[in-house]
Amino acid sequence: MPLQPWMKLLSTDDHLIEPPRLWTDRLPAKYRDLGPRIVEQARGEGQAPAEVWNYEGRIYPYIGLNAVAGKSPEEFGLEPTRYDEMIPGCYDPKARLRDMDLDGVWGALCFPSFPRFAGTVFLDGQDRRLALLCVQAWNDFVIDEWCATAPGRLIPLVILPLWDVDACAAEIRRTAAKGAKAISFPENPVPLGLPSFHTDHWDPVFTAAEETDMPLCLHFGTSGAAPRTAPEAPFAVTITLFATNSMYAAADLLFSPVLHNHPRLKIGLSEGGIGWIPYLLERADGTWERHRFYQNVNQTVRPSDLFHKHFHGCFIDDRFGVEVRHHIGVDKITWECDYPHSDSYWPKSRAYAAEVLADVPDDEVHKIVELNTRRLYNLPA
Amino acid sequence: MSGRPESERSDWTDLDLLTRDEAYGRLQEEIGLTVGRLAELGADDAAERELLDTRLRALREAAEDLNVR
Repeated sequence: MPLQPWMKLLSTDDHLIEPPRLWTDRLPAKYRDLGPRIVEQARGEGQAPAEVWNYEGRIYPYIGLNAVAGKSPEEFGLEPTRYDEMIPGCYDPKARLRDMDLDGVWGALCFPSFPRFAGTVFLDGQDRRLALLCVQAWNDFVIDEWCATAPGRLIPLVILPLWDVDACAAEIRRTAAKGAKAISFPENPVPLGLPSFHTDHWDPVFTAAEETDMPLCLHFGTSGAAPRTAPEAPFAVTITLFATNSMYAAADLLFSPVLHNHPRLKIGLSEGGIGWIPYLLERADGTWERHRFYQNVNQTVRPSDLFHKHFHGCFIDDRFGVEVRHHIGVDKITWECDYPHSDSYWPKSRAYAAEVLADVPDDEVHKIVELNTRRLYNLPA
Repeated sequence: MSGRPESERSDWTDLDLLTRDEAYGRLQEEIGLTVGRLAELGADDAAERELLDTRLRALREAAEDLNVR
């Protein structure tokens, strides 16, 4: 059994649901009614009212439960829900720890929910001062409350005020000083109306990330653009193609100036799987060999070399990725759980990881499930 | 991504969260499997039995909590 009992599973992609008073407990009094707060919204007769977020008067009907293909149309789409319909581990850090213990998982890096995975909901903010305070409140909650419940097990990831690059850099440094370990950043800023990786706009962010040695975690979906072939295509098409968002992000960065200008930058491709990586690198290198001469791309460093220096990925059940791990780089692979999404294997994530890694030597398993994450995210054992 | 208004979209609009009912069902399934494994243990598997007993208790407590609203 290569996954030994003493190896600690560290997940680089889990999620939390913000508790109802996260912002009202932290914002100055004058902003409490404008900042995100939970309000009730009538549902059908005989049903308890839904709990939805109200932010600057806009209603965001998803506090957590979103259904998908596989459920009847009546069950998915725009159905808002309530906290008492969730498992407490979504929003209560003590309950989360119990669920992690049941699952055989030691540590977890959690992405936001209401703010979206990279905090992009605050780009909607009409009042930028309030939006900045909201970003800081989420980060303070994660560091001071969520992760403080179990230091070393709940791993602090922070979001940024993406409309102001200098404020982003300041927030990186502020939160790093408080113990943050990672930064959530859009996989592609362009669909969000923000400058691309091919400009120098984000340099202060990348510099701050280098200085603080925190990885930028690009979770798929954070560009706001999911792969969709046709309006009538079944959602199975989108789910199948989710990892292509990570492929886009990797290719975009590999042919951008970012990694040449920021030699210590670390990029995590969150929830994107890993099996596609060898193909993309072969393709990127071939493209670079043949087509670099007439394009504004770096002329001396191969894309695959850049990838191996800067990137890491993660997987839940990517058996092919595990099989081709030496083409990816065993040091570049981390494990993820994705609790509390239903594609997690909770409460048997550990047993499932053992099964997926059954043919991998012990030392490589240890790197994948624990040591790589400790090294990349600066988590002492 | 979708035709929904911006305020109704999220990164996980199309992702699925583990519900209480699904979680309860998974716990019940795992309880059943654990009980089965315990039944297969022999007299000289005391250490394994203790581990599984501990897990079974934790699983049952979690299931009981989810079953009470």
